[in-house]
Amino acid sequence: MWNELLYAFEAVATLPNFLAMFAGIWGGVIIGAIPGMTGTMAVTLALPFTFYLPPVTSILLLVALYKGSTYGGSISAILIKTPGTASAACTVLDGYPLARAGKGGKALNMALVSSCIGDFISNISLFFLAMPLAMFALRVGPPEFFMLMAFSLTIVASISGRSLVLGIISACLGLLLATVGEDIYGSYRFALSEDMKSGLGMVPVLIGLFALPELIKMVVFRPEENNAALKLGDNRLTLSEFRGSIKSICRGSLIGVILGAIPGIGPSTAAFFSYSEARRTSKNGDKFGEGELEGVAASESANNGACGATMIPLMALGVPGDVITGVMLGAFMIHGLTPGPLLFQNNIGEVYALFIGILFSSVFLFIAGKVTANAFTKISRIPQTLLLPCILILCVYGIYSIGASPFDVTVLLVMGVVGFIMMLLNIPAAPFLIAFILGPMFEDNMRRSLAISRGDLGVFFQSWISWGFFVLTVLFVTLTIRREWKKWREKRAAATASAS
Amino acid sequence: MNQNRDFYAGLLATAFFAIVLFVLIPIYVKVPSFIPGFAPPPDMWPRVVAIIGLVMGVLAVILAFPKMREASRNQVTSLGTRIMSHKTLIVRFAAVLVVFAAFVIGMPIVGFVPATIVMLGVLFIMTGNFERKFWMIGLTVIFPVLLYLLFTEVTHTPFPEGTLFF
Repeated sequence: MWNELLYAFEAVATLPNFLAMFAGIWGGVIIGAIPGMTGTMAVTLALPFTFYLPPVTSILLLVALYKGSTYGGSISAILIKTPGTASAACTVLDGYPLARAGKGGKALNMALVSSCIGDFISNISLFFLAMPLAMFALRVGPPEFFMLMAFSLTIVASISGRSLVLGIISACLGLLLATVGEDIYGSYRFALSEDMKSGLGMVPVLIGLFALPELIKMVVFRPEENNAALKLGDNRLTLSEFRGSIKSICRGSLIGVILGAIPGIGPSTAAFFSYSEARRTSKNGDKFGEGELEGVAASESANNGACGATMIPLMALGVPGDVITGVMLGAFMIHGLTPGPLLFQNNIGEVYALFIGILFSSVFLFIAGKVTANAFTKISRIPQTLLLPCILILCVYGIYSIGASPFDVTVLLVMGVVGFIMMLLNIPAAPFLIAFILGPMFEDNMRRSLAISRGDLGVFFQSWISWGFFVLTVLFVTLTIRREWKKWREKRAAATASAS
Repeated sequence: MNQNRDFYAGLLATAFFAIVLFVLIPIYVKVPSFIPGFAPPPDMWPRVVAIIGLVMGVLAVILAFPKMREASRNQVTSLGTRIMSHKTLIVRFAAVLVVFAAFVIGMPIVGFVPATIVMLGVLFIMTGNFERKFWMIGLTVIFPVLLYLLFTEVTHTPFPEGTLFF
């Protein structure tokens, strides 16, 4: 084994491989930071170029693009409240308030450090746990997925802010919009027009909901301070701040690894799950959503933690964990490598080379992140009256380029208006987002499970994994009801006291 | 203020989910005559969500009542009064809606680039801040053209050229 590792190290440590990784990471960070441009787009665009590269170099390039774009999404999420990628949506919750408070540089540094740690832990996991975790993932069927999704949806309670009722309303709206289009059995729902038959795209909905309301708010209210650009202020991330978030970083990385290894879940869910866990357990939990560095650390470590882990089912079983790894599966095949157990028998040299190369990519991510983030921070010095309309146009171009569909642009603009109305009515947008992302998976797995069991609800309680998530869900719902009840009683007591 | 907002949010949610439940689902979620195995019908999940949303909307309205009563001892603000006092803001919001609608309708006619140039220019004007006129004029023309070049060269996106000119 050690000889093979040494040989693989020699094979990876070449200039073309390093250049490919550096170009991939840097390009990915830039693409991820542009609203509307996704990691999938970056990897797909690079795919034709890999024809001219050796197998290991081309896979490393694609992996680097994936990782870079996942981190890049956090830059625009923090600085302009526009998540560049879906997985960075959770970073907006604390990143943007931090930037508004003049701590944008600090938030970016925390995002970078936690992304790199998450990425590194994910890579180590890929190295050591590929087979065992892939075996675990194989045991997760629709009922277990359903229970996992049910537990993930309880996050809504912790990101609802001031009012749980309004949070649930927001989540219901997200769940409902997620049902638009064709369902798993080919029935169309809410297809008011031909375009709606394919459903509402996640990226237009997401960007519309988070980026556009700020522009509409500026146009409608014309705030006095609309020249007040986000100040970077204190850029340095202190050791004590890092230490304060280390638990959330480690937990987020592990959540990312576990959820990333399960096909179909991906970095977005991992980020929300990790954020929710950090909020539940942190002593500063009540400050989450108002600009808490730990919130940024939790979401960023998880989404980058999931990146390496999505390669686990791909390499060990030949099952792509998400759309991007689906594209990578094609890249493996192009170069004559067939992902799955046989890959470890027939091409062990390439497998080790990839593992080592992917480990190197964490270092490249840190360097590229530092350089690119510094360049992007200049955005925050542009007056908002110039910046926000330009962001809208950038989003319009980005969204149109995804599917060359004017309907996506319409969705973007409509969701911007919906987001603004929600903002006016104090309805939180975050529960909408999480419900919109998790909703389809929740419903599909519920319907699949019921179809398999011929309508028997017992299917959801047949494995220890399902039971584990069920107990966690019940426990959390009970705790939430108790907390809300206590809050209501306290308010009532205060009102009675003031009346008397 | 918050009490009123909670009330309006609840009212809006109740109305929205009621329309979804009683109008949109019966019309736009067709249940096929044959469903394989024991799979739940396609309208099951939207119905469940709409019912929960409706209940939560009603709950938000009910919960807002005592707070509103408390607040109204000090200050009574009816919906009509609030709309009249915010007439300018409402006009500005309506103008945003008109700009967005005009873009969606006009873009296939005049083309993507001219439509984005016009929208950007109008939005700059609507910000009401004219301290950087030259920047605004420059960006209005150059920024959409640069983006057009970037996306056509890099991603080969075929942007609509407009039926008016071609």
